[in-house]
Amino acid sequence: MWHDGCPRLAAVNPHARAAGLRPRMRLADARALLPDIVTVAGEPQADLRLIEAIAGWCDRYTPWVAVDAMGGALADDIERACSTGGFGGDAGLLLDVTGCTHLFGEGEAGERALLADLVTRLARRDLSCRAAMADTAGAAWALARFAERHADLFCPSHGQRDALGSLPVEGLRLDAPILDTLLKLGLRHIGDLYPIPRAPLARRFGDRLLNCLDQALGTLAEPIEPRRIPPAFRTRLAFAEPIGRAEDIAAATSRLLAALCRQFEQAGVGARQLEIALYRVDGSVDRTSIGTSRPNRDNPKLMKLFEERLGELDPGFGVELMILAAPEVEAWSGTQDVLPDQNAPGIASGGDGTIDLADRLALRLGSENVVRLLSRDSHLPERVQVAAAVSSKPAAAGAWRRVASLKGARPTRLLQRPEPVEVTAFVPDDPPSVFHWRRHAHRIVRADGPERIANEWWRPRSDGTHPPAGTLPPVRDYYRVEDDDGGRFWLFRDGPYQLAANGQPTARWFLHGFCA
Amino acid sequence: MPVISPSAFASPHPRIANDPATLVPAALREKVRRLERANSVGRNGKTAAVPLGIAAIDALLPDGGLLTGALHEIEAGPGPSGRVASHDGAALGFAAHLLSRFGPGTILWCRRPTGRFDAPPYASALSSWFDPARLLMVTAHRDEDLFWAMEEGLRCPGIAAVLGETRAVDPTAGRRLSLAAEKNGVPALLLRAQPAPPQSVCATRWRIASAPSCSTPGLKDVGAARWRLELRRNRFGTPSAAETPSWLLEWNDETHCLAVVPQALHGSSGTHFEERLVG
Repeated sequence: MWHDGCPRLAAVNPHARAAGLRPRMRLADARALLPDIVTVAGEPQADLRLIEAIAGWCDRYTPWVAVDAMGGALADDIERACSTGGFGGDAGLLLDVTGCTHLFGEGEAGERALLADLVTRLARRDLSCRAAMADTAGAAWALARFAERHADLFCPSHGQRDALGSLPVEGLRLDAPILDTLLKLGLRHIGDLYPIPRAPLARRFGDRLLNCLDQALGTLAEPIEPRRIPPAFRTRLAFAEPIGRAEDIAAATSRLLAALCRQFEQAGVGARQLEIALYRVDGSVDRTSIGTSRPNRDNPKLMKLFEERLGELDPGFGVELMILAAPEVEAWSGTQDVLPDQNAPGIASGGDGTIDLADRLALRLGSENVVRLLSRDSHLPERVQVAAAVSSKPAAAGAWRRVASLKGARPTRLLQRPEPVEVTAFVPDDPPSVFHWRRHAHRIVRADGPERIANEWWRPRSDGTHPPAGTLPPVRDYYRVEDDDGGRFWLFRDGPYQLAANGQPTARWFLHGFCA
Repeated sequence: MPVISPSAFASPHPRIANDPATLVPAALREKVRRLERANSVGRNGKTAAVPLGIAAIDALLPDGGLLTGALHEIEAGPGPSGRVASHDGAALGFAAHLLSRFGPGTILWCRRPTGRFDAPPYASALSSWFDPARLLMVTAHRDEDLFWAMEEGLRCPGIAAVLGETRAVDPTAGRRLSLAAEKNGVPALLLRAQPAPPQSVCATRWRIASAPSCSTPGLKDVGAARWRLELRRNRFGTPSAAETPSWLLEWNDETHCLAVVPQALHGSSGTHFEERLVG
């Protein structure tokens, strides 16, 4: 049940359906049909969680799983479906099992075996489901929802025209207005539409009806967007008996990895990311992934990375299936890397194990915490240095020295956020004579400056807008100062010295760095 | 009035070496030293020690330089007035100078952010000493992670040197780092923003404070960076006449050269310093 100004039904059980109740019906109308109806408040978010969990579990059959949110076409926006109550009993899952059924048997027998396996495994977990298989998503959708109770839900190849003929037109995933008109015209079954010429149908109902019909019958392609992009490379290992010991899981991972690395070698690629999924006997799935800084298909090295992560996996009551997938691969340039690269003396050449070290560190500390520093052409000191992933192209040799030579003296440490300081200056435009920072007074003995650095007017502001034309960009005047204790600091004043209307200077002073 | 430093008369070579009474202990010490550092000598053709480029300091260090397979500590000391140093810019500069002596290869720089006032090293300035493209920066939010990352780095063949910025004092971690450095012949440096209680494991401990620079005569500009350097621990080196040998160094950013400031020039370095020396 959900609310849309008035309470409406979100989902109905078979008895209610037999009594004529339909989803989206107003509760008042439903009460008129069936006075002693029992209603429960809908929980679309909980429904979504459940169906997502089942979808994850269905990855065991095919990587191509989509959540079919609305009782209609695939919802492009599951959140919206939730908010409008579309996530009721009509939600379902679409599995594209093309090329996956041979694991269960040859030809049609394999397809039937897969379907039966799916239904029995779900039934074992007390989930009643209606699963249909057909050439098209539309036909399977209609069969699962509108076929007779004990009908065979398997539609043989090219048999969808016959299978759909006797089903009600609701099975075409049509919008409510079209559906109402069809029912008023007496077109109750999908088969009733077959003999009608297409042109009058298109004129009367627009493209929508014909598209739905063609998609169900297979004359029009219907792309299914998978819940997760299926990886190009994956290997699976099913166990006769559930395994649970850490050593067994490690051994199985090693076997999967060996198989996957062979696939990589044939395809000439290396993995940038690997994901291992443990399908547990209780139906839940546990996943973990590793990333590498450059394409890698070195089995022992990848295994070493996995060893750090396998401890986090919880086998629960046992693991019956493991799938190792490579969601991200790149063309492999393996043997090229060991040649010494004269132009990049840094960590570009990874043959010395630095890249592997970076991977290991990133795995434990997070990849954002293991970086190399790139220089950027900018006047603003805080923008010159940019942290980049280890896999990115390193700064060219001497790039930093060139950047440094163009600028004045720079501090060895730069504060992430400039800190406001209080200053005393004899002459407004001069460097200050004393500044207070962290409750210490620093008497300035020597000073260099100012070095004026203007904001980069050609760059949009942080909110995306451009400064209006004709305005001067804000400037900073930097001073390198030395206090009586020999400490050297980098101070700036944000703007030229001016007095505001109340007689107070407008510019403030900041501490931005510490010099050697 | 001429300014005379207390260490001005110290000979660069220790006197005890000539004393027959200490000859045996010296030979014994040498033997023990060889036993202790059996592993640290020569890996991948690397030399066991790298000279700092300053003759007065190198004379005191074992094998005429900074040992590659050892742990070295660098801490920021108080300035001439004895006031707590407000930052470790000078210590960082000295650490960068040491790092520039080791190479080629990647420099692993591990640091633990200090919260709101975090001031990471600025590569633009580090380029005076070495190419920042060689840097691999690691941020650890726990000291265990920091020491772990350093140890991993020491074991990696492509790493030239490992530096850790931390305030933590952990004798076990220090010992582990020292052993890993010795085994792999890769130097480990610990950079401390504040003086820490001494640990026995490090081969050398340096204390650096920024010292007043020398302006151009007649001007009040900031001159070349000057540091007061103290060698507070020198485990395998030659004992010095002074208890803690100390030097005033000047870093020339144009010639990229670190040199001891001649004693005669001390006077121009600042009034406070002069008073301290005389008094």
